[in-house]
Amino acid sequence: MRQTILFLLAAVFAGILLWNGATILDLPQQVTNVGAYKIIYFHVPAAFTAFTGFVTALVASILYLATGKLRYDAFAAGVTEVALAFATANLISGMIWARYAWGIWWTWDARLTSMLVCLLMYYGYVMLRQAITEPTQRARLSAFMSILGCINVAFVYQSIAWYRTQHPSPVLGFREGGGMGPGLETPMYWNWLAMLCLATILASVRMRQGEFATEIDSLRRQAHSH
Amino acid sequence: MDPREFQFTFYGLMIVWLIITVYVLSLALRERRLRQELDRVKRMLEKS
Amino acid sequence: MYLRQIWTIAAKDLRSEMRTKEALNASVAFSMVILILFSFAFDQAEDLKGLLGGLLWLAYAFAGALVLNRSFARELQNDCLDALISSPAPPSAIFLGKALANFALLMAVELISLGVFAILYDVRLSGKLGLLSLVMLLATWGITVIGTTFSALTVNLTMRELMLPVLIYPFLIPVLMSAMILTTDLIAGVPIATNLVWLRVLVAFDIAFTAVTVLYIDVVLVG
Repeated sequence: MRQTILFLLAAVFAGILLWNGATILDLPQQVTNVGAYKIIYFHVPAAFTAFTGFVTALVASILYLATGKLRYDAFAAGVTEVALAFATANLISGMIWARYAWGIWWTWDARLTSMLVCLLMYYGYVMLRQAITEPTQRARLSAFMSILGCINVAFVYQSIAWYRTQHPSPVLGFREGGGMGPGLETPMYWNWLAMLCLATILASVRMRQGEFATEIDSLRRQAHSH
Repeated sequence: MDPREFQFTFYGLMIVWLIITVYVLSLALRERRLRQELDRVKRMLEKS
Repeated sequence: MYLRQIWTIAAKDLRSEMRTKEALNASVAFSMVILILFSFAFDQAEDLKGLLGGLLWLAYAFAGALVLNRSFARELQNDCLDALISSPAPPSAIFLGKALANFALLMAVELISLGVFAILYDVRLSGKLGLLSLVMLLATWGITVIGTTFSALTVNLTMRELMLPVLIYPFLIPVLMSAMILTTDLIAGVPIATNLVWLRVLVAFDIAFTAVTVLYIDVVLVG
């Protein structure tokens, strides 16, 4: 059952990617005054996928604290790790685009900075999980950290946004205008769907690995008790 | 299309899939290690 | 009753710290070293005035981690932590008591380094001390809440001395950022009215994280 669903998701992912990739290739080369804009079709969906993952992990963490079921914890852990991979992809592809469009690799803008902080914080989360061996303790502490982390992301984003509106930077002007031309945005959402399918597959693989690990642990304990 | 623009678009798209591929590979490696470990522990348990 | 419990825990922590002064001495010495090192880093800087707030708060943040690391770790000997948790005081009282003690220690370290900082970098503080201490109180409470929470979170880990700094600094970004901007501007003589938004960030951060940790701290301490 699980495998069928995963294969189905993989098929959907590949289908959307191929068909959508062709659409994106057909789009005009120049639509805005910025070049290399097609990176956005993978850059933005990666960010959406990452944030979907972080929010899902938050919900799973709260559910774990409410019910105490370890399944929610395994789910939160898997989703967070996959979201981290997508967030990294988002950040680095964004840097490559920035090097072309702005001539710099990095700028301390609200979005860039909060994504980086997000990344550092959730790497901390993964590190914390690796450092704790006792499953229920690991689940409790990391769920708590996940909740704190989400509050902090809101604070970081808001304070850096204020900071940068006080010191406006011309480089960011076009981002505020928002809105691409008609028909240019839809491929982005399709790619988001494709990436969500991929992320679901990866998270479910990661979850099963978590189950393996607990099985190994319990078998070991059995072996030692003999 | 200006060749530099093409180059950067290409790099940008490649890096997204490269990072995801690296993550998938790391998942596969971990999967193999876990399976080996599971086998080892199971065998250990059978012997005793 | 609840307040008495908080006070008892805080007084106990402060008393045991005052007996050895381990964390206090290390932390003060460390912040001195950082302040001196910064003078080499910015030797050639044209406009040091714009960096002063950031410099001060970085020294506080680094020195603070030394105090915070000890907070729960000192209870590990003789299983004091288990005794504390099984005592009639609720977990949130234990947490608030420890946070209060850390707050007092951090403020002490900060006041000593502020004096040294003013002398070394020729900063005139007269007339600005009122607002500066308000900023210090608010930001230090933010650092204390996050630091004490993660001190409790990492207390049972083997690598806790390494984990604590890695985990807390991303969380401290909003506090440190606001405190740095406010302090730099206060020292430069900019009226506080232009920076009210940062005071608001500090207050909101303090309230939000204090509320969440007090509500959920039994998850960490008791389970």
